[in-house]
Amino acid sequence: MTATAGTASRTQPKATSLWRDTLSQILRQRSAVIGLILLGIILLAALLADVLTPYGPTDQLFNVEGARRLSGPCIHVLGCPESQPQFIMGLDQNNRDVFARVLHGARLSLQVGMITVGLAIIIGTLIGSVAGFFRGWIDNVLMRIMDVLLAFPALILAIFLTTAFSTLDLPFLGDPLFNAMLAIGFVAVPVYARVMRASVLSIRERDFVTASRALGASDGGILLRRVLPNALTPLIVQGTLGIATAILEVAALSFLGLGAQEPTPEWGAMIGGVRNQVFAAPHLMIFPGGALALSVLAFNLLGDGVRDALDPRLNR
Amino acid sequence: MRTWRLVPVLATLALVLAACGQQPGESASPEPTSGESEAPAPSGDTAFEGLTYPEDGSSACGAENNPSNIGSIVAEDAQTVVFNLCAPDVAFLSKIAFSSFAIDDTAYLEAHAADGSIVDQPNGTGPYQLNAWNRGSDITLSAFDGYWGDAPISPSVIFRWSAEAAQRLVELQAGTVDGIDNPGADDFETIEGDSNLALYPREGLNTLYFGFNNNPKVDGFDNETNPLADEAVRQAIAMGIDRERIVNSFYPPGSEVATHFTPCAIPFGCEGEEWYEFDQQAAIDALAAAGYPDGFETTIHLRDVVRGYLPAPQQVAADLQAQLADLGITASIDIQESTTFLDNSDAGLLSGIHLLGWGADYPDATNFLDFHFGGGASDQFGDKFEDITTALASGASSVEDADRQAAYETANDAIKTHVPMIPIAHGGSGVAFQADNDGAHSSPLSNEAMAVISPGSDDQLVWMQNGEPGGLYCADESDGEALRVCEQIKESLYAYEVGGTDTIPALAEECAPNDDLTVWTCTLREGVSFHDGSTLDANDVVLSYAVQWDADHPLHVGRDGSFTYFSALWGGFLNPPPAE
Repeated sequence: MTATAGTASRTQPKATSLWRDTLSQILRQRSAVIGLILLGIILLAALLADVLTPYGPTDQLFNVEGARRLSGPCIHVLGCPESQPQFIMGLDQNNRDVFARVLHGARLSLQVGMITVGLAIIIGTLIGSVAGFFRGWIDNVLMRIMDVLLAFPALILAIFLTTAFSTLDLPFLGDPLFNAMLAIGFVAVPVYARVMRASVLSIRERDFVTASRALGASDGGILLRRVLPNALTPLIVQGTLGIATAILEVAALSFLGLGAQEPTPEWGAMIGGVRNQVFAAPHLMIFPGGALALSVLAFNLLGDGVRDALDPRLNR
Repeated sequence: MRTWRLVPVLATLALVLAACGQQPGESASPEPTSGESEAPAPSGDTAFEGLTYPEDGSSACGAENNPSNIGSIVAEDAQTVVFNLCAPDVAFLSKIAFSSFAIDDTAYLEAHAADGSIVDQPNGTGPYQLNAWNRGSDITLSAFDGYWGDAPISPSVIFRWSAEAAQRLVELQAGTVDGIDNPGADDFETIEGDSNLALYPREGLNTLYFGFNNNPKVDGFDNETNPLADEAVRQAIAMGIDRERIVNSFYPPGSEVATHFTPCAIPFGCEGEEWYEFDQQAAIDALAAAGYPDGFETTIHLRDVVRGYLPAPQQVAADLQAQLADLGITASIDIQESTTFLDNSDAGLLSGIHLLGWGADYPDATNFLDFHFGGGASDQFGDKFEDITTALASGASSVEDADRQAAYETANDAIKTHVPMIPIAHGGSGVAFQADNDGAHSSPLSNEAMAVISPGSDDQLVWMQNGEPGGLYCADESDGEALRVCEQIKESLYAYEVGGTDTIPALAEECAPNDDLTVWTCTLREGVSFHDGSTLDANDVVLSYAVQWDADHPLHVGRDGSFTYFSALWGGFLNPPPAE
């Protein structure tokens, strides 16, 4: 009887919501938890940047007594003399507080990652779902275009697009950072389109889709109400991992001078701007570089955890 | 020795005329003409056919088609060239020593100037000849066996380049290069503390300036709405920039804030009033009075290339951006490729503010002032100011010190009034070598002579500079990266002493003036060979100058055809193109 009772308890699970289940599964993944904690710290730093630092990210502190250009970190509790002004991460080549710039850089990098991936997901989802659902020539044409885009090295294509955008005389393409985000987002579209198409191809053959069709639902209705919601899981995993890639690629473009411009506190631009001070003031590379690595690590760990939690094939 | 034969000379002349669409024998005003000279031929019994340019001699002086200070250039005999000037020029020797006025072989010019191949394949008389130019990578020079002077110490010299000061230093420390140009200002201490390396400081005979273009030559640009066309706005910005902060923050020891455009070490450089004192509030008030109480938007143009006058381009640009923001002016930063930036600057295509500088080519005020603000200057500052050009013309043609002093005082005061640019700094800089490179030196003119430097324990000398030359026909180059390479390959009538600024005879044994300094007679050195085996003669000198001087000359082609130095230093071109 014990066995029967146990079987009964398994066949009548407690009623829970989908999101709560998902979150619960994610929180069971150690890597996801570490990623979330790191991300939380970065998010807090970004939100509280104005509170945590007395200086603005673009303030040139020539009027602050004792503020010396390229000087290293000075933290009073760690033994730095009280007579010197405290700068947790030192001062940069233009006498700006590196700590303030790194914190504000977090704000910018998170925005960049989210917006870029969001853009890529929206376009990629549209292309992938249409191609996967309707198949035929539409599928062929769209996927061949995606194949062509995938054939280019991502960063090279992004450099080309950024340069091309900057030469176009369009009002919304004026900001180089926006151009870089647009380019990175555009380059990432094929990845999401491919993922979405594969997902849709699998979902469209399910019984509930056939049932909807039998009940007379339109193609658009089936795609929007039946297929898309059930095909999002791999996209969420890919998107979480993609944010890390997007942050890195935008930083790379900014490092090359194609993304954020002075005085914007973007990590890649900050590293690029001090490349010739690498020996005289290595801290100017270490702090933004560390912040960049930490945020990429956070999104990668979270992405891995989300994948492990949401992919039924990986459930143990 | 070259044998002088009439047929090849006439054939050459026919080629030039044919390029003009004319038949030999037709009269062509700007073309060189040959006439029988009474002077004896250098060898053999064939008379030397000396060229005169232009054919009507000095009558071109003051003519509408000749705003320059040269009336004519005459090859009197194979070894004698006469420059007839329109006005005295006390800086004549300094000018002809400059590498843009190096001498090319006549036949080589005719064969390679029109199609532009001379830009990649220079043929000079210098101690080194071009062996290979791997675009984007390096330039290899090998010692020229037939060099007339002391044989170069190193059998070969390799020029490499990197815009990154950190990379140059790493390569020097690793021993992969023997010498580097412009180590980063923050790395001077590192080099001085390394016993394997030697730092050679370079005197700050240069100027960094923030240039304003009062009338950009950009299609569709509306100068009516260009705040920088307003002199009051430029004066306000001149007051609002803290130049001392820039020098103290970004320049190495030995640098100084510029009180005038020309460094004070150069005679007559600092006549007239000193530049505006920094007064931010006065600048803000002046901007408001000029109609810009809320500022305006503009662009800061620069090239990300380190020079002695600009050791930290992006950082200085960022600081300028911040200082302009304090005045209410919002500036974006536009970084351009080096050669493109210079070409755009010369063509007057840079609107907004541009960061550029100037290193001395020869120690005379004309080199700084005439090049930038004289009648023959480029369009980088837009429309010229007549009171400046007049004063500079007077200063360049005056013989007496008192007259020159008065002229440059007037010119400098007018520059301060019109503010075509803001002089920022005279930057100290340096070069660094391996400690075992005997003969290593820095030059105040940035023309280090590789021929006198030993490669130490290596069998070749490797030099790393900031950038790749745009071309090696330096008549049409103005970038120091190109000029330094040219100076190893080509020679002018005079030269500057190694590591100094005094002029010394080079291809000419002597250039002697008449009493009023308007006629300069140069006697050429005998037995000088070009790298291709041909021999130097007076016609080479005439044609080398003529193709630069005459804008209508079929060989006036170059790399982009601007020939900036000639126009600026000699007052303009013969047959100048019509003003746009």
